[in-house]
Amino acid sequence: MKNEAESQWRRDIIKYRHFYLFISPFFILFAAFSLYPVLFSLFLSFMKWNGLTQWKWVGLGNFTSMLYDDILWRSLWNTLIIGLLYIPPMMILAFIFAQVLNAQWLKLRAFYRAALFLPCVTPMVVIAIVFSLIFSSEKGVLNYAIMGVGHMLPFLHLKPIPWLESESWSKTSVAILVVWRWTGYNMIIMLAGLQGIPTEYYEAAMVDGAGMWERVKSVTMPLMRPTFAFCGLLSLLGTVYMFDEIFVLTNGGPGVSSMNFGLYLFNLSFTDFKFGYASCVAYTVAVAVFFITLAGLRITRQREEAK
Amino acid sequence: MSNSPKMRRMLAMGVFYVVLTAIAFLFLFPFYWLLISAFKTQAQIFTIPPQWIPHPVIFNNFVELYRETNLFRAFLNSCIISGGNVLLTLFLCSLAGYAFAKYPQARGHGKLFNFILASMMIPGAVTLIPSFLMLVWLHLINTYWAMIIPGSASAFGIFWMRQYMSSNVPDDLVNAARIDGCTEFEIYWRIAVPISKPALAALGIMQLIASWNNLMWAFVVLRTPNMLTLPVVIYLLQGEVRTPFGMLMAGGLMTTLPLILAFLFFQKQFVAGITAGAIKQ
Repeated sequence: MKNEAESQWRRDIIKYRHFYLFISPFFILFAAFSLYPVLFSLFLSFMKWNGLTQWKWVGLGNFTSMLYDDILWRSLWNTLIIGLLYIPPMMILAFIFAQVLNAQWLKLRAFYRAALFLPCVTPMVVIAIVFSLIFSSEKGVLNYAIMGVGHMLPFLHLKPIPWLESESWSKTSVAILVVWRWTGYNMIIMLAGLQGIPTEYYEAAMVDGAGMWERVKSVTMPLMRPTFAFCGLLSLLGTVYMFDEIFVLTNGGPGVSSMNFGLYLFNLSFTDFKFGYASCVAYTVAVAVFFITLAGLRITRQREEAK
Repeated sequence: MSNSPKMRRMLAMGVFYVVLTAIAFLFLFPFYWLLISAFKTQAQIFTIPPQWIPHPVIFNNFVELYRETNLFRAFLNSCIISGGNVLLTLFLCSLAGYAFAKYPQARGHGKLFNFILASMMIPGAVTLIPSFLMLVWLHLINTYWAMIIPGSASAFGIFWMRQYMSSNVPDDLVNAARIDGCTEFEIYWRIAVPISKPALAALGIMQLIASWNNLMWAFVVLRTPNMLTLPVVIYLLQGEVRTPFGMLMAGGLMTTLPLILAFLFFQKQFVAGITAGAIKQ
C-alpha cells in the first residue's frame, strides 16, 4: 500500500515537473537570500562574532546586553517620536488629496497627482542634500521664509530655527522630509481605497439629506478603515527601518538625537561589525514589531465587528 | 451681487484651487531648488536673499563634475545594475508566477505559495548580515552580481505576476498550444509573457526605482571607486570640511532626471502596481 502511494507521489512529481522546474530558479535565490539568512541570523543571535575570528557562543548574553544598551533604547525612542511627528500630518494630507483627486470635476488632476507623487520616486540621497541646503540655519531658504513672515507679523517673535544643528529640532527636520517624501505614496493607496467605495452609498446618503461632511464621516471613514490600517502598518515599518532619509540628512545627529532603529542597526552591523549582537537586536525588534502589528490589526478588526 | 450663491461658489472654488496649487508647488519646490542650484556657484547658492533665478547661469558645475568625478562610469554602473536587476526580477517572477497560475494541481502548490506570501513579512533588517556574508562566501563582493541578485527573488513579484496571469492568460489558449506541440517553456515565453506586458511593466518600473535608488546595499557590497553607483558617488561628494554643493546638485540632477522621465512615462503602470500592493492585504 505504502509503495503504491509513493509511486503515485512520484508520478505526480514527474507529471508536473514543469511546475517545479519553473519555480526552482526563484526558490534557489529565495533560499540563499531569504530563508537561509533568517535561520543564520537566529543562530548568530546567540553568538559573539566580528566576522573574522571564530564565533563564540554567548547564550542569552546578547539579549541581556540589549537591556543595558542606552543607544538602542534611545534610537527606539527616537523612532517613536519621529513616527508621531510625521504620521498624523502625512495621513491627513494624503487623505485630503486622495479625496480631492477622487472628485470627478477636478481640473489639472494629472498635475496635482504628479506633484505629490514625484517625491517618492526620486533618489533619497539627492533630495536629502537639497533639504540640507533648505534647512541650513543661516543661509537656508526655509529660515529666510520664516524671517520674512516674522517681519510681516512681528508679534509672532519668529527666530531662525537651527533645523539640523540642534538636538531638539533634528527629529522635526527628519519628519518634514518624510512627510514630503511619502505623502504621495499614501495618497495613491487611499485613492485606490476611495475608488473601491460604491457610488450608490453616497447617493443613498444624499437621498437621506446628508451634507458633504456627514457623507465623509458616515460613509467614507468607516469604509476606509482597512486602508488606513494598511497605511499605518506601512508607516510603522517604514519608521522603524528607515535608513536613507536619516543617514543622509543628519546621520543620526547631532549626537544621537535623530538616530532611529534602522540607522543604529546599520551602524552596529557595518561600522562596529558586531554581527552577533546586531542579529540579536534585529530579530528581537522584528518580532516585537510583528506582534505590535498583529495587536493593531486585531483592534481594528474588533472595532469593525463592534459596529 | 456678491452675495449671490453663484458668486460665492466661484469664490470658494477659486480659494480651493489656490490652496491646492500652493501645496502642489510646495511639494515641487525641492526639485526647483535642485534644478537652479545646479546652475549656481557656491557663493550664489548661499546668498541672502536667495537668487530665485540663477544670475548669471553657471555651467561650470557640470564641467567640474565631469573632470573631478567618475560620474559617467557611475551612470553606467547604475544602468547595468538596475537593468540587470529589473530583467532578472521580471524573468524569475514571471516564470514562477506562471507556474503558480497554471499548474494548480501540482503537489505542494498551495503550501509553497503560502510560504512565499508569509515570507513577505520578513523585514530586510533581519536578513542583512547573512545576505552580506553569503556574497562574501560566493566571492561576489564588489561585483555587479552583488547588487543584481539578492533583491531579485521578490515575493511580491511572484504574487503580482500570478494574480495577473491566472486571470488574463486563458487556459484554452495554453491547452491549444500544448496540442500544437509547443513545449511548456515556449507556452510561457511565447504566450503568457506577451499577454502579461502591462503587469511586467508595472513590476519593472517599481523594481527600477528601488534598484536605482538603493543606497544602503551599495554601501555594503561595492568597494572600489570604479564600481560605485550614482547615489553612492553623490553621497561621497559631500566633504568633511567643505561640500561642493553646486557640483552635488549638478550630479543630483543627472541622477534624478532618468527616474523622473521613467516615472512620467510609466506613471499609469506604477500607480497600478502600488495599488495592487495595497489591495493584496
